[in-house]
Amino acid sequence: MRRTLLSLAILSLAAAPVFAGNAVGDTAPAFTLKALDGKTWSLAELKGKTVVLEWANPNCPVSSRHTREKTMIDLAKQNGEVVWLGINSTNPNSGDYMKPADELAWNQKNGINYAVLADPTGSTGHAYGARTTPHMFIIDKDGKIAYNGAIDDDPPGRKPKAQRVSYVGRGLDAEKAGKSPDPATTHAYGCSVKY
Amino acid sequence: MTTPKIVLIAAAASLALLSAPRAYGAASAWSVNDPSQVRLITAAKVAPNAGEMWMGLQFRLKPGWHVYWKNSGDAGYPPAVTFQPEDVLGKPEIQWPAPQRFDLPGGLVAFGYEKEVVYPIRARLQPAAAPAPTPAPTPASTPAAPGSPNTLKITADLDYLVCQADCIPFRYTLTVDQPVGIPAVPDPETAPLLQAALERLPKGVGEMAGVSTEVALDTYSAALPDLEIRVRGARAGAKTDLFLETNDALEGGRPRMKIVPDGVVFHVAMKPKEANKPLPAHTPIAWTVTHLEAQGHPFSLEARRDVEVSGGVGGPAAGSAPQPPASRERLARLLLSAFLGGALLNLMPPVLALLLAELFVLRAGERGRVREGAAAAATGIVGAAWLVALLAVAAHRAGLPAGWGAQLQEPVLVAFLAVLSAMVALNLWGMVEVPLASPGSAGTSGTSRHLLAGLLATPLALAWPVPQLREPVSYALGRGPATVTAVFAVAGFGLALPYLLLAVAPVLLRVFPAPTPAGPWLPRVREGLGFLAGAGAFWVLYALSHQVSAEGIAFIELALLAMSLLAWLRHREGSGRTFRAVLAVGLLACAAGALWLADHNRLAPRAWPVAPLPTTLSTQTTGPNNPLPGGRKNA
Repeated sequence: MRRTLLSLAILSLAAAPVFAGNAVGDTAPAFTLKALDGKTWSLAELKGKTVVLEWANPNCPVSSRHTREKTMIDLAKQNGEVVWLGINSTNPNSGDYMKPADELAWNQKNGINYAVLADPTGSTGHAYGARTTPHMFIIDKDGKIAYNGAIDDDPPGRKPKAQRVSYVGRGLDAEKAGKSPDPATTHAYGCSVKY
Repeated sequence: MTTPKIVLIAAAASLALLSAPRAYGAASAWSVNDPSQVRLITAAKVAPNAGEMWMGLQFRLKPGWHVYWKNSGDAGYPPAVTFQPEDVLGKPEIQWPAPQRFDLPGGLVAFGYEKEVVYPIRARLQPAAAPAPTPAPTPASTPAAPGSPNTLKITADLDYLVCQADCIPFRYTLTVDQPVGIPAVPDPETAPLLQAALERLPKGVGEMAGVSTEVALDTYSAALPDLEIRVRGARAGAKTDLFLETNDALEGGRPRMKIVPDGVVFHVAMKPKEANKPLPAHTPIAWTVTHLEAQGHPFSLEARRDVEVSGGVGGPAAGSAPQPPASRERLARLLLSAFLGGALLNLMPPVLALLLAELFVLRAGERGRVREGAAAAATGIVGAAWLVALLAVAAHRAGLPAGWGAQLQEPVLVAFLAVLSAMVALNLWGMVEVPLASPGSAGTSGTSRHLLAGLLATPLALAWPVPQLREPVSYALGRGPATVTAVFAVAGFGLALPYLLLAVAPVLLRVFPAPTPAGPWLPRVREGLGFLAGAGAFWVLYALSHQVSAEGIAFIELALLAMSLLAWLRHREGSGRTFRAVLAVGLLACAAGALWLADHNRLAPRAWPVAPLPTTLSTQTTGPNNPLPGGRKNA
């Protein structure tokens, strides 16, 4: 009987850290994923740094418009101290799926010089509740989600770039100044993540 | 496919920018692309030169493709359009017809329209700036020449996204040369189109006699407030659906619908977008309910209310946000409420069955061991309550539905409770020898059997959302693990109350009739109590029917029946050891099958993150991504 009790207690303890939320203020779900170039990235190793996650899919016209306009590329460059990571959660069965080598070549050709992680099972995408490409997250230095939503306020990209409100840009400025992003959540737009 | 679509998309977009041919009268030319075509229509051959003017964006979509509602759902974005000349047209507004739901791979969902849709657009002509009033034009059959003073050149800059699983953005400039004058002349082709589109707009509450709608946000469960939306005075059907507009503070899950005699009720689990920020005191909730019928007329209903968030005494705050210190009286009151709630749980059928069976066993056993047995059962109950507290804290931390009642939102857990209730019933019927205390065996191992009975009573009690526990649990979840543990422990003591009383005063057991050697009535009482536990299993299945498809419920019931069959076989014919072992394995497999069925027939997507799976497995579960054979044509 005592053994049963003990194993029950251990089981319930073990179950606890499996879960992590995806609301702003929650501890960002941990992940260890391979980048397109084969390098392994683990969120746990990035503690102490501000991290931006961008759900990416080169075959999504909304993402590729931002690539063409260098929205994320420029923002990542301006915020050199921030770790900017793309994550591609496209299912290998989807027509949008690209082999890592092909995607890497495409990224390099189009000026994406930050790491893009492959999440073919979609588990990291689901853990964050990533819905669109591009869906953006800012993770603060304490490993908590600080922003969850759209890159900017202009889904169709109608306004000149300078007139758009870059939610992520503002959020990073706020983080730099020791404040919280405002707004901390917006409605992400774009193609659906092809889980 | 490895070549990105980007180049082709860019080409399509630049082609689209070549302005469509200018049209005169009530419609622009169609702008055509592979998945869709669109044009701007106006209702009139000759429009009035002041006041309201109706226009529309008419889309025709290839099968499988859709455009979006004002809340596009998990993906996409709604069309955006601006009109020129602004000094005449002002800022025309898009009206949004009642949408439908599109399920996308990965449990995502989009809201919009398929096949054909007209978005009506209302403009208010600015009288001062309207084209110079001219004598009434010649009859409508000979519209004024373009460019003449009584022609309004309308230009619409349109951006939209059209998606199936894939999405393609398009940008067009649509133009109509609209004759303006008195008298106004409707266009026989486009006016009926716009009329039909206007009828497809959701009605306001005041527009339908006898129809009303209500909203309530239950924040007792601070982690996952429940939004209840009710429509009265209208008939709902299988196609009836609820669509929420976006809200700054809360994110809505998939609605659960229940058709009631006078209308329909929806429940939506709302997740706070920010875990550590208290919810605002009021929040605007806007919703549309589609496919309703009243007095023989189909309609959709639209409403918007400022909803009080902090209605519950449990407080609005979610997560571990710092809160003002609660008064001692409140804590004491809540703990008392938790104790009462726990005690009340003893009356719930399967718990009661287990309790009575235990009491009879104790009565039948040695007198001197009553105290020991009762203490063991109480220990089991409180110990299990601690485990439940631990799980509640973990679930809350994970942002999962937590709070008293939330446990009945998770199909797997509810199916587990059904299996547990069924096992208790089978045990009481004598068919399963779970080592529960049973008459005649209250010997040396009796104490641990009482402990196990106690351990079982707590999970059984989880199936009963008694209201007394709601406020204490949601309050505790808002305050942290220590309070949660305290509340659950106190509720556990409440549940253990009968045993605690016996441990203090074993004499109380005398109210039960002592077993007589003459009549074997004790087994009969036990078997009768089995039906009480069976009733509990049925209640749990009823709760499950809100979360699992009808087929799922049917198969889960079959699994339970198979469990009973195997238990009966084992009890009746199980003389051989191997045979008994095989039957026991089969029984456990049926129980596991019931849980699996609950997980795979759920109506709402799973709230917890899916554990990483091997690629082959996960691709099987998500299924084919591209419904069009032969890949994308547009790419």
